[in-house]
Amino acid sequence: MHPPAPTLHELQRSLRDSLLHHAGDPACAHVIADGIDPAQRLGIYRHTIESTLARALRLSFPAVRHLVGPEFFDGAARLFAAESPPHHAGLDQFGAGFPQFLANLPQAAALPYLADLARLEWQVDLVLHAREAAPLAVERLAHQDESALAAWRFEAHPAARLLWCEFPADAIWRALLERDDAALAAIDLADAPVGLLVHRSGGGIAACSVDIVRLDACAWRLTSALFSGLPLHAALEQAPCPDAHAVLAGHLAHGHFADTCCARPMFAP
Amino acid sequence: MKPPLAGPPDTPGAIPAQAGIGLRFRHHEVVVQAHPAVSWFEVHTENYMGGGAAPAYLDAIRRDYPVSLHGVGLSLGSAEGIDAAHLARVRLAVERFAPGLVSEHLSWSATGTTYLADLLPLPMTEEALSVVCRHVDQVQSCLRRRILIENPSTYLRFRHSTIPEWDFLAEVARRTGCGLLCDVNNIYVSASNHGWDGLAYLRALPPAAVGEIHLAGHSVRQLDQGRTLRIDDHGSRVAAPVWALYRAALQHFGAVPALIEWDTEVPPLSVLMEEAASADAALEELRHAPARAHAA
Repeated sequence: MHPPAPTLHELQRSLRDSLLHHAGDPACAHVIADGIDPAQRLGIYRHTIESTLARALRLSFPAVRHLVGPEFFDGAARLFAAESPPHHAGLDQFGAGFPQFLANLPQAAALPYLADLARLEWQVDLVLHAREAAPLAVERLAHQDESALAAWRFEAHPAARLLWCEFPADAIWRALLERDDAALAAIDLADAPVGLLVHRSGGGIAACSVDIVRLDACAWRLTSALFSGLPLHAALEQAPCPDAHAVLAGHLAHGHFADTCCARPMFAP
Repeated sequence: MKPPLAGPPDTPGAIPAQAGIGLRFRHHEVVVQAHPAVSWFEVHTENYMGGGAAPAYLDAIRRDYPVSLHGVGLSLGSAEGIDAAHLARVRLAVERFAPGLVSEHLSWSATGTTYLADLLPLPMTEEALSVVCRHVDQVQSCLRRRILIENPSTYLRFRHSTIPEWDFLAEVARRTGCGLLCDVNNIYVSASNHGWDGLAYLRALPPAAVGEIHLAGHSVRQLDQGRTLRIDDHGSRVAAPVWALYRAALQHFGAVPALIEWDTEVPPLSVLMEEAASADAALEELRHAPARAHAA
């Protein structure tokens, strides 16, 4: 006895339940068997979805995968995809929740630095895919008078991001990607915490490499204040640095700020 | 109302009635550096949205080659409507890359807030036909151009389907003025899986609507009790019976651009160019064959 014909909406919901959660019976009832179990037919689509999502996570988290091994990684990816399926077609946000998922995974508890490594890889991914933008050139600031400069609000370049890690995730990341077992073994996990600036270097078709630099405590506080949009004078008050000038000059030289047409508020105080 | 065709054939960027190649990331550098003798390239639209190296490569490649944008993410068959933000991103990509062709699939992927990362089968019903046509209209209106809709490869059929798939496609084209992307490998795979006649499928498609042909490899999956299904995995050379179906397609549709798709275990560009050469040879044969009337 076959069920009545579903609406398209009903059918799509029951297929989703089958493909994500193996809750197959309602969906199977709508499928013609023709000599093959409908569950097997649906399984072909489920396998493609799982493979596609696992591949997306592999591309975004290569160091994590190398650290935990392909079997563990693919198993974690499958669990994550079932728990937090993607919300849109570009898949470019799909991995955002994976670091926290790993942090909560009981099977990963033996690797306390795993979540930090994953968070770092996610920032790398974001930075690699960030939109192009003209970097703020020091010449723009050179033409400003003192009060205009003091009121200047900086904006982080879309391909420059900050990440605070409790573990030396940058050293771990580098050693894993370079397959340098000696370097990995030599890492002191107590060489932490670290404040990292993740930045895509180059542009156009050379825009495929990432720099990760450690900021000392002072530079971290100042950079965070600048990236948050505080006017320069307020950022310097909030995060006084003996070498503030060098920190700022370094960011400008490396293109860490975006060139915005209105870096100052329209109406100066 | 039918939207205008996307440019006359001699516009720079128009896709010629020759074989093209599906461009993958691993080919970017060699295409930019070596400028191989390929007539045109097609990419998956979703891989070239946003920023970074990939769209920058496509900018460079587009300066020297016509490009076609083939989307997988619009989910034209979703009962709840298409994602406006995604459509906006597609439009940005179309504006940035000025493609000679824009295409999508007869399938669905999104329901509720979930995106299911595959091209899922639609029931062939009046309701689904109405939904797809509404969305094709919406997309063509937003992009201000005709799009092509590709026939799917499918591994199941629904009990409550009432319209043959080939008639469904023909009707979408008739109601919306969209074109069709005839994937000959998909016809072969689906026909094999469901006991259809591939030639009859081809002949049911309106020739004037067909704007592109896809060619790809497939594999055979063993299931329980000795049953098999053909799987459209784009991971190998085009199979001999698919080449035969392609030649029949050219007889029926006339010369249209033909694309070599290879998405997994992707070989060096030279292998894809060999496949493209085979497709071009069939197009040449067609041009030199005695004139014959196309089936109406």
